[in-house]
Amino acid sequence: MGDPLTQVNALATSEAPNKEISTGAKVLAWMADNGIFVLTAVLIAVAVIGVEGFASLQNIADVFHRAAPIGIVAVGMTFVVISGNYLDLSVVAQVATSAVILIAVSNEYGYIPAILAAMLAAAVFGIVNGVAVGYFKANAVIVTLSTTYIGLGLLRFFSGGSIFFGPYESPLASFGAGKLGPVPYSAIVLVIMTILLSLLLTRTNFGFTVRSFGVNERATRLGGTNTGLVIIGAFLVTAFSAMIAGFVLAAFSNTAVSAMSTGYDFRALAAIIVGGTSVFGGKGSVPRTLLGVVFVSVLTNVLVLLNISFGYQQMALGFLIAAAVSIDALARRAGKK
Amino acid sequence: MSTPVIEARNVVKAFGGAKAVDDVSVAVEAGDIHAVVGENGAGKSTLMRILSGIETLDSGAVLVDGQEIENSAKSSLEAGISLVHQELSLIPEMTVAENILLGSFPTKAGVTRKAEMKRIAAETLKEIGVDVDLDERISRLSVALRQFVEIARAVARKPKVLILDEPTASLTPAETDYLLDMLKRLASQGLAIIYISHRIPEVFRICNKVTVLRDGQRVFVSEVAKTKPDQVINEMVGRELQLGLQSRRQANPGEVVLAAHGIRATGVNNVSLEVRAGEIVGLGGLVGAGRTELVRAIIGADNRTAGRVVLNSQGKSTVISGYMSAIRAGVAYVPEERRVDGLAMTMAVFENIYLPNRRELGAGGITRPGKMLSFALELANKVGLRPPQVKLEAGQYSGGNQQKIVIAKWLGRRPSFVVLDEPTRGVDVGAKAEIHKLVKELADQGTAVLVVSSDLPELLELADVIHVMRDGKITGTLAANEADEKSVMSLAAGEKLVEA
Repeated sequence: MGDPLTQVNALATSEAPNKEISTGAKVLAWMADNGIFVLTAVLIAVAVIGVEGFASLQNIADVFHRAAPIGIVAVGMTFVVISGNYLDLSVVAQVATSAVILIAVSNEYGYIPAILAAMLAAAVFGIVNGVAVGYFKANAVIVTLSTTYIGLGLLRFFSGGSIFFGPYESPLASFGAGKLGPVPYSAIVLVIMTILLSLLLTRTNFGFTVRSFGVNERATRLGGTNTGLVIIGAFLVTAFSAMIAGFVLAAFSNTAVSAMSTGYDFRALAAIIVGGTSVFGGKGSVPRTLLGVVFVSVLTNVLVLLNISFGYQQMALGFLIAAAVSIDALARRAGKK
Repeated sequence: MSTPVIEARNVVKAFGGAKAVDDVSVAVEAGDIHAVVGENGAGKSTLMRILSGIETLDSGAVLVDGQEIENSAKSSLEAGISLVHQELSLIPEMTVAENILLGSFPTKAGVTRKAEMKRIAAETLKEIGVDVDLDERISRLSVALRQFVEIARAVARKPKVLILDEPTASLTPAETDYLLDMLKRLASQGLAIIYISHRIPEVFRICNKVTVLRDGQRVFVSEVAKTKPDQVINEMVGRELQLGLQSRRQANPGEVVLAAHGIRATGVNNVSLEVRAGEIVGLGGLVGAGRTELVRAIIGADNRTAGRVVLNSQGKSTVISGYMSAIRAGVAYVPEERRVDGLAMTMAVFENIYLPNRRELGAGGITRPGKMLSFALELANKVGLRPPQVKLEAGQYSGGNQQKIVIAKWLGRRPSFVVLDEPTRGVDVGAKAEIHKLVKELADQGTAVLVVSSDLPELLELADVIHVMRDGKITGTLAANEADEKSVMSLAAGEKLVEA
């Protein structure tokens, strides 16, 4: 495009009065922003009224218990999505690595060395992903797909593919089965993580730069930001959340195996996107992701209670994400016009 | 008089409310090289895009051999109009031969005929007199060779009319000579050539007619033999000088705040300059002269290959090596591309203002919403943001207000050296005056200011000293009292060099 033309175009658009937004665009924008609230309310109402076995304290506690590991991954991965880097596929490897390290190392050396080792592994994942994406500007999807393979490969190499069992009676096992009143500990961890990460995103300069980077990378850099560090930070937050998710998951069954977190990448992304966080970056929040986790978990639970086969459940999740990202993209495009 | 090969008749094209091309007529005959000249934004490129059918016209007509043609890229191409783009449009990963025949590969049953393709490409290159390996990838060629391949691509379509938009913008003098000779030869073979440039010497070397556009209108047309470079420049600048309306401030320069020495970077060739406290230094020149590249290299926003920059601020001397160190030392940068580099459009005004000030405002890395808002509001009022609603998204404001937001976010840091690149481009007249006032106030308070502007009256109003750049170098320096639009323009267009 010729330069004078772009100047004239810029002039024309910048002088245009606040653009009129069509009704369709408004509806789309509203759906992208608020659809999740309506959907969750409707789903829960339908489930309570129409699905036998849903509205029991036991079932609801169970839903949250099962949702916790994926939910913890999702609230952490929200940082990567808001930074505009799509997702971190390597959470699959990170969760399994953390769980295996926790059980295998604690069996030999106790919990403290195990937790330190898991933290070290999480730091390596976060930094490798962050440097490749933040400094080398490599595509996040491909980078984290690679680190998934590297991570799982290393894990299988060291573990020999075997299953690790914790001692029958251990603090970990009792934590995994423990409850505060009717509320499982795992759900409490999920809520605490949501609150902490939400504060990190909205009330710190680090969180501010993550959001700002997601909206406009170049302006953020020129505003005096080491953007590479911001991206490393976003991947580190994801990695440490995945580590905690690995601990919670290991506690559930008191076992760990490299294949235990298959599908966590996609399920976490589903929760984030359905919650209304934009894959284009800059827009979204951690509590929204929690809401997305609730929606996806309740939906899965309802399908299970209705005896709908796993194949259909998978399809439902696929359709849900496709619909959510389409609305996100359409709303963005409509808003631009 | 024979029928012109190509004719634009009363062409009008508006973007939004602004007329980019306003009732312009141009006619070019076979064998002519017709120059279309004008300042940045005069409408040259838009007119050429209309001729080649890429841009639609609002009214008027384009005629080829006396026949009106439809306003589309396809019909322009079929009628024999070939445009050589200003910005290179070759595919770097494909070979020379493939690029020359891009879009018109000779095929047989859907399969590309490589030998035939290479034969045509070789023939075309021979015709324009360029020797380059047909199988070489474009990415491995020099800028000049790419430009020649681009011309070969246009010539391969066997056009009647060849349009070149600033073809020498990134060429060395020797390469430019080669290209100009090539065009002369092509014209002598009966091609009609439209040559867009703001380099006056080139026009007088090869063109036989010249049309001057100013603010979208044709203000002058003549045979080159019957005019002089001076006259063409006068017509390009044209507008009444409004010196009486401007309030030039009384400059009172202090110590040197910024000293840049021997700066080299992409598009910048060994430039040194100084800016003093309380002084506004202007950088004039044409688009592509290397002004933006220079300021970005000075402040470390882009890499420099050589040179040293020192910032003296509050008794401290800092060597500026990278952008982060520049910001910390007291540099503020209002970039040319406001929407891309200056603002996060979907974030609130107060968040945009917070970005460069977050370390000072958010002690311990914790954000304090109340403080963020009050800080932003104070600055918004200072720069005259209207309405001063700092919770609104930056993108909801007009261009002028957006620029005020960018200025506001840097004012919060009380910078000692401010760079403004095209501070009022795309800004309405009222906001422009306010921004000028802000810039002058900054200098009056002792800030060192460097302004890049293609808007000559703006440069003349603001700057105490004007450096004019061309081809990555400073070609002349004018004090405020000796600078006028003509002197700046001659330095920018390189007219003096031809006389020398």
